[in-house]
Amino acid sequence: MMQPITAKELEYVVDSISNEDLLMKQCAVVVAAGSSPALKQVCGQMISMHEQHMHTLLNSLQQHQQLAPTQPQN
Amino acid sequence: MHQQQQQHMQAISMQTLMPEKDMAYTVLADLKRVVREYATAATESSCPQTRQMFTNLMNNTLRMQGNLFNAMQQQNMYSVASPALRQEVDKQIKEHQQVVQQAEQHLQQLGLRQQASFGAQYNQQQQQPSQGQYIQPQVPTHQQNQNQFYM
Repeated sequence: MMQPITAKELEYVVDSISNEDLLMKQCAVVVAAGSSPALKQVCGQMISMHEQHMHTLLNSLQQHQQLAPTQPQN
Repeated sequence: MHQQQQQHMQAISMQTLMPEKDMAYTVLADLKRVVREYATAATESSCPQTRQMFTNLMNNTLRMQGNLFNAMQQQNMYSVASPALRQEVDKQIKEHQQVVQQAEQHLQQLGLRQQASFGAQYNQQQQQPSQGQYIQPQVPTHQQNQNQFYM
């Protein structure tokens, strides 16, 4: 059974989206400006992983959307 | 004059602004930070699905950090800490064997453990957990098919 997302969990999810976004851009810099093919390859693979993570995090928010109460609880 | 300055700035390559080693290190440092943050998020989640999501994200991030570390080490971008000296390792083993033994004696005194010596019995007990003993949880099967991207 899915529970409504807590305020704390919500903060972690949105902070994580920012983290993934930042990491993705940092990896893109290495791919664009780096010189070592091995490093560029590793960072290139990481870009799609971070992108995937952002979608996972965003999806979890969307899944919890309907469960969220519209009035403050207790 | 302003234009000249701008042209000069464009001529500076990214590598001049920040060497590749530093760029890679920045990514590595952030991956380490994000692993810790996912661990914290998982421990503080109350919804099981959310906890599982953070756990999976943590494992993926840990794997990426390991891959980047290996790549950096192969490029000689990362110097590993010098090895601990043999006499230091010997000393720590000697000191901490006592800690382990005392912990087992403590458990024995409480009647929570049948034998005090550590070693072969440990594996035996793990394989045949008797009543009241902690049973190692099974690794969730869905984590096994998360690996399609790395390795």
